[in-house]
Amino acid sequence: MKKSFLLLAASAIATLGMTFTASAEGATIGVVVKIGGIPWFNAMEDGIKKRAAELGVEAEMIGPVSADPALQVQAIEDLIAKGVKVIGVVPNDESALEPVLKKARDAGIKVIAHEGPNLNNVDWDFELASTKGLGEAHAKLLAKTIGDTGKYAVYVGSLTVPLHNAWADAAIAWLKAEKPGIQMIGERYGVGENVDAARSTALDLIAANPDLTGFLAFGSQGPIGAARAVEERRKIGDIAVVGIFSPGQGQKLVHEGALTGGYMWSPAQAGEVFVTLGKMLAEGEEVKDGADIPGLGVVHPNFETRDIITDNILEINKDSIDALADQGL
Amino acid sequence: MKTSLGTIRSGLGTDTSSLIALLIVVVLGFSIASPQFMTAANLGSMGFQMPLLGLLTLAMLAPIISGGFNLAVTYTANMSGLTLAWVLLQFGGKDAGVGALVLGCLAAIAVGMLAGAIIGFVVAYVGAHPILVSLAMMIFLRGLGEFLTRGGDISGVPDYMRVLGHETLIGIPVPLLLFGAVAIVWHILLRRTQHGFSVTMTGSNQMAAEYSGLHTKRTLVLLYTLSGLLCAIAGILMLARFNSVRVGHGEALLLVTVLACFLGGVDPFGGYGRVVPVVVSLVILQILSSGLNLIGANQHMATAVWGLFLIAVMVLRSEQVKMVLGFFKKS
Repeated sequence: MKKSFLLLAASAIATLGMTFTASAEGATIGVVVKIGGIPWFNAMEDGIKKRAAELGVEAEMIGPVSADPALQVQAIEDLIAKGVKVIGVVPNDESALEPVLKKARDAGIKVIAHEGPNLNNVDWDFELASTKGLGEAHAKLLAKTIGDTGKYAVYVGSLTVPLHNAWADAAIAWLKAEKPGIQMIGERYGVGENVDAARSTALDLIAANPDLTGFLAFGSQGPIGAARAVEERRKIGDIAVVGIFSPGQGQKLVHEGALTGGYMWSPAQAGEVFVTLGKMLAEGEEVKDGADIPGLGVVHPNFETRDIITDNILEINKDSIDALADQGL
Repeated sequence: MKTSLGTIRSGLGTDTSSLIALLIVVVLGFSIASPQFMTAANLGSMGFQMPLLGLLTLAMLAPIISGGFNLAVTYTANMSGLTLAWVLLQFGGKDAGVGALVLGCLAAIAVGMLAGAIIGFVVAYVGAHPILVSLAMMIFLRGLGEFLTRGGDISGVPDYMRVLGHETLIGIPVPLLLFGAVAIVWHILLRRTQHGFSVTMTGSNQMAAEYSGLHTKRTLVLLYTLSGLLCAIAGILMLARFNSVRVGHGEALLLVTVLACFLGGVDPFGGYGRVVPVVVSLVILQILSSGLNLIGANQHMATAVWGLFLIAVMVLRSEQVKMVLGFFKKS
């Protein structure tokens, strides 16, 4: 029995030893994201590490193994126990985090959120894209590509996705006001999360509307499906496809010209902002209206809701897509 | 000295003493690795985190001892939490009184016990395999919850519920006290009562137990019902901890509950299992999880370490290894 204790102990020490290689001592900024190991948050971690090295602060990212709010709560509690100065969070579920974030703030820790504009127990929430800004950017790109007259169709992920519909609202409103010659056909089509449905709907729309010149597609698969239909019908150059999509998935279509492009925000930049803002707050600096913060630009924070909403969007086009795809996005 | 050690050992059982050795190793390891490990803040943090997993693990324990399984533990907890949140909402959400809380808790417990009873009834009287039955129940509860909430969450609980989720009593986190009380009751229930004996015998050999005059079917229904009761308590605690409830909260804990049971020496084929070693293994898992966070290790690494520990424990417990060790001892 004694020997088996020794063996147990040895195996325990061995497994612990393995994990020490990945350890970082005394981090002062801890960022808890939705889930670890996916390209979006890997890019964010690169941003955090890069900015931390530049500013000479300790920062680490914790990515739970599944997108379960319970795991985020645990990770934040561990960070509080560890005594970090700043906690950053990209919430899975805003309301589930309120009690633990309150606990963090009661312990004197500064809390920064990203993609969580409705959180209450935070010092600041920052966003790199506003709903209006992102929607209008796509509308402008569409107008730039097809000129002052034409007809376009709109895709959303589904008719019940609030964010996609808000982007579509902003884009449609801008086109209506600024480019009266460009008309929308039909209603919004809720096929943007299904590549086959997006493709077949696009084929039908092209057949039914010979004068169709553009697709405005929100939902990760919408632009891909529409671009495939454009390619199949040999309409490259006649029909523009703009929207939000994953650069890696759309790389080939963009180079062929079937997919015109779109906008997104950079997770790496969000990671850098976590560190920049975190260092500012930890040193007692206040965020003021009109301040120029690296990574965010000149900010106009909303002091009521504690939100800093900016428009730092990246254009996805023939020139930028390879670099974005190389980041695994 | 030797005799007293022997008494302790026989009292705890050999499985527990080897786990305690492992516990000491882990505690020592992390104390050396991180100066923050042995601080009140960290110990408190672990004390707040462990009870939720602990309650769900105890809810998993009894079905496993009976040779079954309850895959529906997390969703039963979600459903009970939703019930309580819904009742509170009817009485004004944040402004609901203590009466509403009591009523809500009773309703939550009723829902949890009902879900458990249905599993137990189908397992006992239809004879379907517990994995299938509880899987079906898990899918049903998940679907029902998503349908009722449209995938959203219910939030806004009275401020005094914070006491249950986030306060301490004489320095001990309230959730930990709750877990301790439940664990003691569960231990007594499984070791010292007729029901506990019945559960173990049913898990050992249901046919033989039946022929020996034990009412195995009734035992199964009762044990799954009690498992549902524990899930309901876990659901109430989850609501107090997160201030909101949504279907899917805590679903990552499901397989960890199974891991904790097996690490605690419960026989996967039923017929043997005790509360004490399972609680010790819960403490070990919590220390590993928090400790790895403290030293800043990768989260996925923590999962891998849990898996390695489980494999190591299984190997060391096997008869072959004991024989080899015995051979070396002689020579």
